[in-house]
Amino acid sequence: MTAKDLFSLQNQDSVIDCSGKVPVEHLDYGYIDQCKDVKYLEKIFKALRSGDEGIYPNLISFCENRLKLLDPKNKLLRTDKPAATAANFSQEEWEQIVDDLKMWQEETKKTDHSLKHQPLVNEIIKENIPPIRGSNQSVPLKKDIQQKQSKNVCKRLLPRDYQEWDKFDVEKECEQIDSNNCLRSDLPAVAYTGYSKLKTNLDASLLTEQEQLMLATREKDKGNEAFRAKDYEEAIAYYSRSISIWPTVLAHNNRAQAEIRLKRWNNAMKDCQRVLQMEPGNIKALLRRATVYANTGRFEPAAEDLRTVIKQEPQNPAALQLLSETEKKMQKEVMQEMTCKGKKIQIQEVDEDDCHNKESEAGLKACPVERIQPQGGEVSPAATAQNPDMGNAQKRPHGRGDGSPHSDTGSAHHHHHHAPWKGKASSGEKYKVNHESKEKVANGTSKRGSNASAQADQSGKSPAEGQAKETVNLDAPCGALPPPLSRLKNEGNLLFKNGQFADALEKYSQAIQGYTDSGLDSPEDLCILYSNRAACYLKDGNSQDCIQDCTKALELQPFSLKPLLRRAMAYESLERYRKAYVDYKTVLQIDMSVKAAHDSVNRITRLLIEQDGSEWRDKLPEIPLVPLSAQQHRKPEQPSEVVLQARAEKAKRDAERRAEVQFSTLKQEGNDYVKKGQYKDAVGKYTDCLKLKPEECAVYTNRALCYLKLERFAEAKHDCDAALKLEPTNKKAFYRRAMANKGLKDYLACSSDLQEVLHQDPKVQEAEKELEEVTVLLRQSLANANANANSNVSPAKPRKSVPITEIENDEEDTPTAPNGKGERQY
Amino acid sequence: MSSPLAKPQIIAHIQKSLNYTVFDSKWIPCSAKFVCLGNFARGTGVIQIYEVQHGEAQLVKEVEKPKPIKCGTYGATSLQQRHIATGDFEGNLNIWNLETPEVPVYSAKAHKEIINCIDGVGGLGLGMEHQRLSLEVEMELLRFGTPDKEIHQLPTWSLWRERLRETAGLLHLVMPLMIRIAVFVLNGVCSVEFDRKDINMNKLVATSLEGKFHVFDMRTQHSTKGFASVSEKAHKSTIWQVRHLPQNRDIFMTAGGAGNLHLWKYEYPAERSKKDSDGVDVGVAGTVNLLQNVTLSTQPIASLDWSPDKQGLCVCSGFDQCVRVLIVTKLNVV
Repeated sequence: MTAKDLFSLQNQDSVIDCSGKVPVEHLDYGYIDQCKDVKYLEKIFKALRSGDEGIYPNLISFCENRLKLLDPKNKLLRTDKPAATAANFSQEEWEQIVDDLKMWQEETKKTDHSLKHQPLVNEIIKENIPPIRGSNQSVPLKKDIQQKQSKNVCKRLLPRDYQEWDKFDVEKECEQIDSNNCLRSDLPAVAYTGYSKLKTNLDASLLTEQEQLMLATREKDKGNEAFRAKDYEEAIAYYSRSISIWPTVLAHNNRAQAEIRLKRWNNAMKDCQRVLQMEPGNIKALLRRATVYANTGRFEPAAEDLRTVIKQEPQNPAALQLLSETEKKMQKEVMQEMTCKGKKIQIQEVDEDDCHNKESEAGLKACPVERIQPQGGEVSPAATAQNPDMGNAQKRPHGRGDGSPHSDTGSAHHHHHHAPWKGKASSGEKYKVNHESKEKVANGTSKRGSNASAQADQSGKSPAEGQAKETVNLDAPCGALPPPLSRLKNEGNLLFKNGQFADALEKYSQAIQGYTDSGLDSPEDLCILYSNRAACYLKDGNSQDCIQDCTKALELQPFSLKPLLRRAMAYESLERYRKAYVDYKTVLQIDMSVKAAHDSVNRITRLLIEQDGSEWRDKLPEIPLVPLSAQQHRKPEQPSEVVLQARAEKAKRDAERRAEVQFSTLKQEGNDYVKKGQYKDAVGKYTDCLKLKPEECAVYTNRALCYLKLERFAEAKHDCDAALKLEPTNKKAFYRRAMANKGLKDYLACSSDLQEVLHQDPKVQEAEKELEEVTVLLRQSLANANANANSNVSPAKPRKSVPITEIENDEEDTPTAPNGKGERQY
Repeated sequence: MSSPLAKPQIIAHIQKSLNYTVFDSKWIPCSAKFVCLGNFARGTGVIQIYEVQHGEAQLVKEVEKPKPIKCGTYGATSLQQRHIATGDFEGNLNIWNLETPEVPVYSAKAHKEIINCIDGVGGLGLGMEHQRLSLEVEMELLRFGTPDKEIHQLPTWSLWRERLRETAGLLHLVMPLMIRIAVFVLNGVCSVEFDRKDINMNKLVATSLEGKFHVFDMRTQHSTKGFASVSEKAHKSTIWQVRHLPQNRDIFMTAGGAGNLHLWKYEYPAERSKKDSDGVDVGVAGTVNLLQNVTLSTQPIASLDWSPDKQGLCVCSGFDQCVRVLIVTKLNVV
């Protein structure tokens, strides 16, 4: 029988015989060997096992093997097995198992013993934990307690009885629950991920060491489990809990790994450093640190770490692979350098990394307690680009305070760009140079998360252009500096902008030298020069000199922002956190809006707490109080136009909102006064209202009403005019102007106003009445005028008081007069 | 088999015949001792403490109590106290200090009839913040443990901490869940357990009378599809117990009615939730792999307890009046 025949046969039969028995022909080595249908093979296997067609042990095992080959996890392959015994293991393994158990027994016996002989109940704990319900009252089951209990039970939902279960209708119950569920949650899906609610800091100080250890291990295990389930955030939360109870190398190491998975390089770095402090040469930590380095584009230290690992474990595959990758990238970087014009940055960066690495190593030896800030103020831009969401404050200084050397407001830079010169924009450009060279090398992504680059794009000019323009105006005057010095300074600024920090440094140094030689007296300019040179030092990683220059600058100009910020960063990179903290705090006193300082303060606070415990504040040097003048004199950051605009808009909106609120309260108060008849006060309120919002018609008419009541007709008229200017058809304004005119005895104007009111709304009876009266008065006055012209009869006949009523229109919240419908006497 | 020793092996380290029916066996935390709870032929209850020593279980203490004791837990006690809470045939809940077992530390009539199952949280640092609450909840909890004719043994309840907040809400939350599962599994749920007591609910294993069990991923609940689950038929008889390894929540052991134990591992899928056609989150179940299985007896194994201290150490008792200490190897490399 050929294989082909077999297949056709098999297909036929498997269709036919699906429910029936397996034909005897199929219980055959050849057939089984060719059979690929797992289901059918199962059938054959079952048939063979049942022994209905006779027992063939070899065939059975052959079939079993075939099934195993096709479907290794098939249920039929599961066999009942007795428990394993010593015979199942090699002697070595068995001994290990037994020894392991024995060791555990001994250990646990000790802990058991120590637990027993501890004061049985820790008093503090006893205080914190309430007693078990009723545990303090009784031991034996007293009758009344029992009754109480059973009463309690009745109140609660009773569990079902046997009989109840008999009557239990599952379908009905389910429906009920479904409907309940629908009511309860309208959400289409509920995700139960509560790690955000987890406290990452546990206070286990009340527990015994034994319990703390146990708890820490348990939390770590939970972290491991979450890690395996790829819930990295949750894992980190649990590791943090574990660490807060009892810091272990393992937990730190694992947290580093989880952070790496989430691409939070900085946090991962911190954990690695911590482990390496606790246990220098920990391979996992080294490997992880190398990963972090490699991913943040710092290949040199990465390679160094990897070599250390390989020295210890020559066969470590992960290390070997990562090393080869890193070396490849490093080569590329070198290539890049050769071709790239802005190569100086690259060189410096590598150098600087080296120096930092040495620093951190030195730090390792010198201060084993402190956590090491590996990168000081300088983090490669690749990292910034990669994870903008990391909240890594260390990078921000570049974008903000540190972005550029000083260029005082009078500086020439302003004039030769169309857009105003911006610290941020320029730093963006600097980054751009870096980005372009780095990105290709480091990660090949074009993601530029940093705001800096966005800014650079916005400013829309390439560095080259900037350079071209810059060179033209190098001789622009700079403060009180003589031309040669200002030229030096401008050149320095330009070089700095282009990332040639060493050259810039030289220029600044020359400028400073020149300044001292010339014997000038302009501390501001010298301060700026020092501050700028400090920026260069900072960029070069020369924190010591940076601090020196900053200090000099601050001596010349106390409380100037940039030198302070730079010194803070330098201190921070030298891990002199206390001093850095003080400087940052001072910066914040001068200008609250320096975000970099805020972030750093937060970070340093954490570090200091870790370092000094809860009394860390006591160990701080005094934070100098910044005089108010310095605060006012603060040199504002030069935010981009967009930011400025946004800020202005926000401020405007805020002001508007505030004004709105104030306005409505003032108006309400005014209306209240009117209701109470205190027209004078009301006028005051309305006037305030109008100061806030001069375009509010209703306020004018309201104030007009008050003036009318106060018989200040001219002012009332004026207000009505204003209201009519805003709303040329305002009935009320017309009516009130009419009343004012009447008061002013300008009956002609009064009648025309009233006619206007009636023209708009003929139903206003008061207006009609008024009109009649006014017409009479008009005639009288005309007659009087005539009479006056003829004789010298005094017109000062006491005016008949005229009752006027006024319908309060509803569309505006005009105050209702105290006498309800408003019968007003003039 | 390629390499039989590469996977975990289950070793019957100690086997001890008892002269009474043993219902439950529990490790005493932080010790090499375990407690057996049961019923003498003369109708009284018994608590025995054994210590594992030199490959043998040595009786340390035996206490006789008037009523047969069905179940016990160390779930709600602190490491310093290590009091066991037990439930007996009369529905009494007692908490004992086994150093002085003559009188209970606490006693209450919790049920009218037998307490089949008991579980607790709050002790041993589990959910420290909520210890008080959980102690109370533990009391509440017992009230679920009512027997049912069709369902041999009512579920044991492990809780997740967050849900403990609403004591009253517990019933509402657990009962619907159980009925859902009961309907789904069709043939009665014998035992359920969350993979961990002290985390937000993550997974739940429910076992059935028919030898099937389901693993539910409890992280994502779809309004109509509910929780994602994977099921496996392992035993030919009822699965009496399921217990997760305290050191690794993804490994669990099921104990069957035919005296067999199966060790399983749950493997998470690549993504635990996905969007369905309507863009709504729906859970994705992983897979379950059999790591090892053994047959220890012909009688059902009714109780199973992993040692909280020593990974892989486990005590189980069955209707064959035997208590066994098992060692499961290589759990750390699974």
